[in-house]
Amino acid sequence: MSHAAVLAADVVSSGEAGAFWVLGPIALAGAIGMVLSRNAIHSALWLVLTMLSLGGFYFVQQAPFLGAVQIIVYTGAIMILFLFVLMLVGRDYSDSIVETLRGQRVAAILLGIGFAGLVGGLIADATSGVESVGLAESNADGGNVAAIARLLFTDYLLAFELTSALLITAAVGAMILAHIEHESGSRPGQKEQSIARIKGPRPQTLTGPGVFARGNSVAAPALLPDGSVAEDSRATGMKMRQPPAIASGSIDDLDDVTVDSGANRDGVPT
Amino acid sequence: MLNPYIPIVGLFALAAAFALFSVAAAPYIGPRRYNKAKVDAYECGIEPVDQPLGGARFPVKYYLTAMLFIIFDIEIIFLYPWAVANDSLGLFGLIEMVLFIGTVFIAYAYVWRRGGLEWD
Amino acid sequence: MPDLSAPSISYLGLAPVLIVLGAACIGVLVEAFVPRHLRWNAQVSLALLGTVGALAAVILVAGRNELTAARAVAVDGAALFIEGTIAALGALSILMFAERALDPAKSAFVASAALPVGSSADRKLATAPYSQTEVFPLASFAIGGMMLFAASNNLLVMFVALEVLSLPLYLICGMARRRRLLSQESAVKYFLLGSFASAFFLYGLALIYGYSGTVDLGEIREVAARSGASDALFVTGLALLIVGLLFKAGIAPFHAWTPDVYQGAPTAVTALMASCTKVAAFGAILRLLYVGFGTSEWTWRPLIYTIAIVSMVVGAILGITQTDVKRMLAYSSIAHAGFLLVGVIALGDAATAGRGLSSTLFYLLTYGLTTVGGFAVVTLVRDGDGEATHLSKWAGLASRSPLTAAVMTLFLLGLAGLPLTSGFTGKFAVFRAAIDDGAWPLVVVALLASAIAAFFYLRLVVLMYFSAPAEDGPTVGVPGLPTTIVLAVTAAATVILGLAPGAVLDLAEQAAVLVG
Repeated sequence: MSHAAVLAADVVSSGEAGAFWVLGPIALAGAIGMVLSRNAIHSALWLVLTMLSLGGFYFVQQAPFLGAVQIIVYTGAIMILFLFVLMLVGRDYSDSIVETLRGQRVAAILLGIGFAGLVGGLIADATSGVESVGLAESNADGGNVAAIARLLFTDYLLAFELTSALLITAAVGAMILAHIEHESGSRPGQKEQSIARIKGPRPQTLTGPGVFARGNSVAAPALLPDGSVAEDSRATGMKMRQPPAIASGSIDDLDDVTVDSGANRDGVPT
Repeated sequence: MLNPYIPIVGLFALAAAFALFSVAAAPYIGPRRYNKAKVDAYECGIEPVDQPLGGARFPVKYYLTAMLFIIFDIEIIFLYPWAVANDSLGLFGLIEMVLFIGTVFIAYAYVWRRGGLEWD
Repeated sequence: MPDLSAPSISYLGLAPVLIVLGAACIGVLVEAFVPRHLRWNAQVSLALLGTVGALAAVILVAGRNELTAARAVAVDGAALFIEGTIAALGALSILMFAERALDPAKSAFVASAALPVGSSADRKLATAPYSQTEVFPLASFAIGGMMLFAASNNLLVMFVALEVLSLPLYLICGMARRRRLLSQESAVKYFLLGSFASAFFLYGLALIYGYSGTVDLGEIREVAARSGASDALFVTGLALLIVGLLFKAGIAPFHAWTPDVYQGAPTAVTALMASCTKVAAFGAILRLLYVGFGTSEWTWRPLIYTIAIVSMVVGAILGITQTDVKRMLAYSSIAHAGFLLVGVIALGDAATAGRGLSSTLFYLLTYGLTTVGGFAVVTLVRDGDGEATHLSKWAGLASRSPLTAAVMTLFLLGLAGLPLTSGFTGKFAVFRAAIDDGAWPLVVVALLASAIAAFFYLRLVVLMYFSAPAEDGPTVGVPGLPTTIVLAVTAAATVILGLAPGAVLDLAEQAAVLVG
């Protein structure tokens, strides 16, 4: 142990130490924030911070491939999926605390700790005498990204190509589970809508909402030069704001807004 | 001795300083005329509403988008080592990669033709 | 300048797997580009073409013994026998998928799996004439993954193949047209527990790699032989790998998912899982234990010995308490997994070359065929709510449809292992191999378990023949061509492999070659 520490002290450069002292607290803060946040979304975002810091660690430790995977796949993709799942389930959803099997939680925790202890102990025992080769030697032949490429495209070619079957299955599965196909002809698709619009009386876009300096939302109608409301700019599915009287209106007072309860929360008119 | 990373550190410092300066200086040098519209939360043009905790559930089609993103994200990961080692891999590496991407493209064709990319 | 070269790949040796996976890929393209009313026929033909083509390729390739694709895949007798078995059983399962005469709504698969259960749109589509034909390419992917799973000589390829076979199964488990909630529940359970099992396998893989520095089974064996295999990493890794494999094979104590999933999944999918997945998982277990850990038998032999007993006893005893035919067959599969492990034990030492491998291969074939047949009969017995799987519904079935009852009786006798059926030959081969290897206490337990299990098989026979039929009993559907073929083939196989098993036993004997 002390030998390894001395060895490490020889190797660690000041830059690496600096990166460690910057990234370490950030990673730790992210982890603590994740546990302490009451809001599940905030927890997930804290976790993103931790994962990003870990990605930074990998880069610092000369494992650029691992760093890229950590940031692109874990932080970029898995965490986004995580967030989406939280949003799907609802942010406030909490587990039912009714146990269907009596004592299963306690048993699961005890067995989990036991298993972790067993495997952890065995691994610690098995690796205690192992001398590390060092980065210089393991990265000798063109760095570890090139080394991964060499293995991936020769020895593990089959495993690599087989991954495409997994990806196809995942795409098909996501479509099956989440995409409701509409009976063809039951509602116009993007193409049909475009064609209908070009053939219709108004191929150009409708007048935009009058959001300038009046509010951020589509609920504010556009005004024509004479101060009257441009009817084309009225959004469907929601109650529009009253346009201010143009002569007396001060830019600062805006009418209270009421939203039609028929409007969906994500803005899709029903 | 000039470490080759020092310019990068300098660039980072410059970028950070610029960002900090912009944020810090804005309140002092910009006009401050607020109205209700300016302090509104911006929700992409949607009427801002309070979302009650627990009531806000996303439609499942977002999940489809996220899942498709992950699939092609993972594909990209394999491109990285291939690009780095392209010189030593040569033609057969290209063939292997084309085979892989071609196969994953089947998934893309399926998703596209069945309307998974349409937002209706 | 290129300083690497592509690994040499024996496309002929990989042909069975490549044909099935290729059919699956084309199937997805068919989903993309072919209009809906043509899809069903196209998909059925493609999936059958893939599996039957793979079977033909296996016959063509038979006799080869080599490692290909940088030692990742073994093309040897055992691998080809198992690939052929999976292809044949897969083709039969696909035929069951393709049945359109039994359900009034034409197909056993849902029209739109994404619709919430019970929504008005879902109710509207309950009798829609179409269904999600994605099940066919997905099943092909699963079958291709299974074939590669049993043939992989490399733990990493084995893991990817495990996922390739599992993911589609998770999906198609949840795509039943009737009792959708039950089906979806089974899919979620299978997915969650299966992910845990995969994680165990992956963890074991990492530990073995940490121990030996390689994921190649042959090299692992050499490292283990050199260092005396006393390392903690080695034993822990092997244990975790075995947990992952036992889960896939549905062996007690890792069987908890089996009854629920077998019951909830569409019966055609259950047939696929009960036959092909089991064959593939045992193929992988055999290869892992014999090739990778053959020299360190002391590490796994006591473990497999114990688990075989647990699985036989759990399957046989809990099978008695079941009141649902599909659950009963699920527990039957757990018991049979125990019997199969009896064969796995009988590796024999290098000098005598035990019959364990060949007898297990033969047992897998007979068990798979009989099980597919049993589930095919389950699809015939229906009432207004779909399949009538409760045991009480089966009372007096013989008076309603003597032929169906007779065929089911044949399969049940085969599963029970009564003489003159394939089940007897298989059990006999496995038990003899174990006795040759000195594992007679295990065989005694196996015989007792067989006797207990025979009770619940025969109880159903008695119920069908000697009980008064229920008033509102189920009707026995008239199967279309696909299910008729399945029933004919499996019933014939159950009889022929019982009466004249010689040729197939010889084939299994010849096929009992593992390279690596």
